Amino acid sequence: MKNIVIGQYIPGEGFFYRLDPRTKIISVIVLMVAVFLLDSIYHLLVASGVAMILLLVGKISIGRVFRGLRPLLVLLVFTFVFQILFNRQGAILVNETLTLSATSIVGVLFLTVLWRMLARRGKFRFLLLLMYLGGLYLAMRYLTFWWQITTFPFVIYEDGVTMSIFVIVRLVVIITLSTVLTLTTKPTDLTQGLEKLMRPLKVIGIRSEDFALIISISLRFIPTILDEANKIMSAQASRGADFAEGKLKDKIKQVISLLVPMFIIAFKRSEELADAMESRNFVPGKPRSRINELVFNRLDVLTSVFVVMCLTGSILIRVL
Amino acid sequence: MSYIEIEDLSFSYTGKRKILENINLLIEQGEWVAVLGHNGSGKSTLAKLMIGLLDPMSGSIKIDSTLLEEETTYEIRKKIGIVFQNPDNQFVGVTVKDDIAFGMENLLVPRAEMLEKIDFFARKVGMSDFLDKEPASLSGGQKQRVAIAGILAMQTKIIIFDEATSMLDPYARAELMDYIRELHDEGITIIMITHDIEEAMLADRLVILKEGKIHADGAKKQLLGQPEVFETSSLELPMAIRIAGMLENNDDKLKAVKEYLWEFSFDR
Ligand SMILES: Nc1ncnc2c1ncn2[C@@H]1O[C@H](COP(=O)(O)OP(=O)(O)OP(=O)(O)O)[C@@H](O)[C@H]1O
Ligand SMILES: [Mg+2]
Repeated sequence: MKNIVIGQYIPGEGFFYRLDPRTKIISVIVLMVAVFLLDSIYHLLVASGVAMILLLVGKISIGRVFRGLRPLLVLLVFTFVFQILFNRQGAILVNETLTLSATSIVGVLFLTVLWRMLARRGKFRFLLLLMYLGGLYLAMRYLTFWWQITTFPFVIYEDGVTMSIFVIVRLVVIITLSTVLTLTTKPTDLTQGLEKLMRPLKVIGIRSEDFALIISISLRFIPTILDEANKIMSAQASRGADFAEGKLKDKIKQVISLLVPMFIIAFKRSEELADAMESRNFVPGKPRSRINELVFNRLDVLTSVFVVMCLTGSILIRVL
Repeated sequence: MSYIEIEDLSFSYTGKRKILENINLLIEQGEWVAVLGHNGSGKSTLAKLMIGLLDPMSGSIKIDSTLLEEETTYEIRKKIGIVFQNPDNQFVGVTVKDDIAFGMENLLVPRAEMLEKIDFFARKVGMSDFLDKEPASLSGGQKQRVAIAGILAMQTKIIIFDEATSMLDPYARAELMDYIRELHDEGITIIMITHDIEEAMLADRLVILKEGKIHADGAKKQLLGQPEVFETSSLELPMAIRIAGMLENNDDKLKAVKEYLWEFSFDR
C-alpha cells in the first residue's frame, strides 16, 4: 500500500514535464477547441499526425496514452455502431438484407453467450466485442434458412463510415491531449495550476485557494485512508467476513461493515487535522505565502506561440 | 512574571461537568515540565486551551505577558507549538517539504527564507534526505520529526508534546526523546504530556493532574520523595525508584545500591 499512484502521473523528464502546469492546462483546452473546429477528416488526420510528433518529442510512450483510452473503448465502439447504422447520407456502400430466422436467432444467442463467457476472462475484451459485432452480422446475413420471422435492410452509407471515423479520431486526439496533461503533471502541480487559473473567480465569491487546499489535502490522505481500509478489511476478514465471495446481500453487509468504521475514523481524523492546522496558525481565507511557486520559462512561451498558431490555423481553415 | 501564567482556569465541554477546575500553573522560560495523569484527567484539554483551540470557561492564560484571547491567538501561536499523538493526522503537506513549510506559509514568510529554514530544520531533525517524500512512505517517528521541524521553523519558544511518542516503537521513541532533550538544551520550553513515567523522568518538573485538578506540582526529586502522591493518582513510580523503595535501609551496601538507583532515575 506504500506506492499508490494517485491519478495517472508518471515521473519522468522531457519537454512536457518542464512546462508550467498553467501553460499545459490552457494549451490543452485551446488545442481541444482547435480540434473541434476542424470539420474535415483530412485536417483532423493532419492534427493527429502533429499530436503524434508531439508525443515523440515529449518522449511519452504511445502505449501509455492508449492505455488511457481503454476506459473509453466502449464509448468509441458505440459511436461507431451508431454512426454506421443510423447515418443516412452520402453514397450507399453496402446494401443487404438481414434475416431474423430461427437459425439466426439461435446463432445470435449462441454468440452472445460465447461473448459474455469469453469477456469474463478479461483479456482482449475490445477485440472480442468487435468479433461479436461481426459475428452478429454474419449470423443474420447467412443463417437465413428455417422459419424466417422477418427481414430488414442493412444499409451503410458513405457518410456513416467517414463520420464514424471522423468522430472517433477526434475523440482519440482529444483524449490523448488530456492524457498527456495528466501523465506529465503531478496532481499537486495540477491543483496549483488550476488554483492560479481560477483566481479571477474571486469576483463571484469563489475562493480558489480553499479549493486547492481541499484537493491537496484529499490527495495527501488518499493513501492513508486506503491503508486504513485495508486494515479494517483484514480485521473483518479475521472475524470471518469475506469480501470477495457471497451473495449480494452479504456483500452489501460487508461493505457497510467497512464504511461505518471508516467514516468514524475519517471524522476523528479530520477533527485532529483541523486542530493541527489551526495550531500552526492557519486561518481560512487569510493570505498565505507559498513554498511551491510556479514560474513561466522560455518553453512556456514557445508552447503558447505554437498553441496559438494551431488555433489560428484551424480557425482559418474553418472560415476560408 | 512567568513565561506561561495560567490562572484559575476552568473548562467544560458541555457546560455541566467541569473537565478542568481552578488550574493555576506558572512555567518559566526554558523549563521542561512533564504533565502526568490517568486517562481523561484533562491533560489534552489543558494543552488545547493553552494553544487557543478551546476557550476557557473562566480564568486566564498568559503567554509572554500576552493574554490569550481571540484577537491575540495568532500572535500567541507564533510562540507556542504543539505536536499531537497521531503522526498521520497532523501531516498537512503533500511532501515533507510542504509540511515543514505549512506553518511558515501561514505566517507569510517569503519563499526564499522558507527554503533556507526548511533546509536548516530538516537537517536538524535528520530529515534532509526525505524532503520530497510523501507521508505514506515515512515511518511514524519520521512523521513526528517532520512535525517538530514544522514547529521549529515557526520559531516557537514553547513546544507542547501531547503523547507525541505513544504511537512510536521504542527505538523511534528514544530517538524523539533525544531531539526533545536537544531542544531543551537550546532553551526551548518543553511541556510534555505523557503516560510513561520513565519518559517523564527526563523533565525537571512534574505536574500531576487528577480529575481536572492539579494534584501535585513540583520538582521531580521532591515529588519522587512522596510516593503517596503517585499512589493516589493511580500512577506508577519509575522502576528504579520502586526497587529502591523495596530495599531495607539497614545495610551500607543496600544503601549504596539505593542511592545508585535514585541517581539512575535522574541522570540518564
Ligand atoms: N470534544 C469533547 N467533547 C466532550 N467531552 C470531551 C471532549 N474531549 C474530551 N472530552 C472529555 O474530557 C475529559 C478529559 O479529556 P482529555 O482528552 O483532556 O483527557 P486526557 O487527560 O488527555 O486523557 P488521555 O490520557 O486519554 O489522553 C474526558 O472525560 C473526555 O471524555
Ligand atoms: Mg490526551
